[in-house]
Amino acid sequence: MDCKGIQDRLLAIGAPGLIGIDLPREPDPKDKKDKGRTGEPFLLVDAQSLPAFLTACRDDPELDFALLVDLTAADPAATAPELWVHVQLLSHTKRHRLAVRCAVPKATPSMPTSARVYRSAQWHEREAMEMFGIEFVGHPDPRHVLLPDDWVGHPLRKDYVYPEEYHGISCK
Amino acid sequence: MGFLENQFEENVLTTKVDWLLNWCRLSSLWPMTFGLACCAIEMMAVGMAHHDIDRFGAGAFRASPRQSDLMIVAGTVNFKMAERIKKLHEQMPSPKYVIAMGACATGGGPYHDWGYTVVKGVDRVVPVDVYIAGCPPRPEALLEGLMALQRKIRRTPIVRKPSTPA
Repeated sequence: MDCKGIQDRLLAIGAPGLIGIDLPREPDPKDKKDKGRTGEPFLLVDAQSLPAFLTACRDDPELDFALLVDLTAADPAATAPELWVHVQLLSHTKRHRLAVRCAVPKATPSMPTSARVYRSAQWHEREAMEMFGIEFVGHPDPRHVLLPDDWVGHPLRKDYVYPEEYHGISCK
Repeated sequence: MGFLENQFEENVLTTKVDWLLNWCRLSSLWPMTFGLACCAIEMMAVGMAHHDIDRFGAGAFRASPRQSDLMIVAGTVNFKMAERIKKLHEQMPSPKYVIAMGACATGGGPYHDWGYTVVKGVDRVVPVDVYIAGCPPRPEALLEGLMALQRKIRRTPIVRKPSTPA
C-alpha cells in the first residue's frame, strides 16, 4: 500500500488526529524560486493525538505496522514557530512504510508520549527530549540518553548557545 | 650463552644511573587498553604481528590504569569521557606518559567547530607528551610517536639536576 492508500484506509477506520498528506511535487515552471519537493510522501498528524493515531496504525489488520523504525525531531529554521516530530513506521507482513510528521510549537514544546504504544519509541523520545527540548508527557524514563545529565541547553535547536566551559574544562 | 660463556670473568659494566633507569623505563612502557574511536583500530593494528609494538617493549596492553605507564588517547574525547580520562590518569602510577593520537585527541579534529560535546584537545584535561597527526594516523605514525616518547624519556634527568630550568 502506498501513502495515499494508507491515508484512505486511515480515513475509513477514522484514525484520530489525521490532518492531511504532503506529497513530493515537481517545481513550478512559472515560479523560478520554487524548487518543488523531493523525498517520501508523509502524513500530517496532530501532535496531541499522535499516540492514539499510532495505536490505530498498529492495531488495524489492513495496515499492521508492527515496528516503529524511527522517531526524531527537526528544527526547520531559526524563524520557524514550530518543531517537527517525524515518525517512521514499517509493516513486515504488508511490506509497506509510513512517514508521519507532527508539529509542536517552539514556545511550549510538549506532546504526549508514544512509548506505551511502541516501546522502541522510549529511547528515541529521550533523544528528542535532550536535543530539542520537547517534553513527552508521561514518558516512563525521561533521562538523558547521550548528553551528560547536567548539560545545559538543547544542542540541535537553531537558537542553541554554545557553552563556555563544562565542569572546568574549556569548550573553546 | 654460547660462545660468550666464560669469555669475560667477573666483569664490571659502567654506565650512568640516569641512563640505566631511563633505559628501564623506556624499554617497558605498558600502555593502557583504552580506545575511544576509530584511532583505536589503528592502535590494535599496531599491537598485531604486522607492525608489532612489542619490538619497542610497549606491547603489554594492561586492562587497569594501576598497571600502566602510558595512556594512548586514541579517539574523540567528549566531555562525558573527559572526566573519566582525568580520573584514569590520576589512577596511573608515576612516571606516566600520555600520547594524544590523531586529530580529535590533539585538537578536536573534524568536530572542532560544531562539536558541542567534543573537547578541543585532550591537553585540556591531562598533560600530553607526544601528539600524533593523522585522521586516523597510520600504524607507523603511532610507532614513530612511541619512539619520540622513548627519545624524550631517554633524555629525562633523574639523578642529575636539569641543566636548563624546566
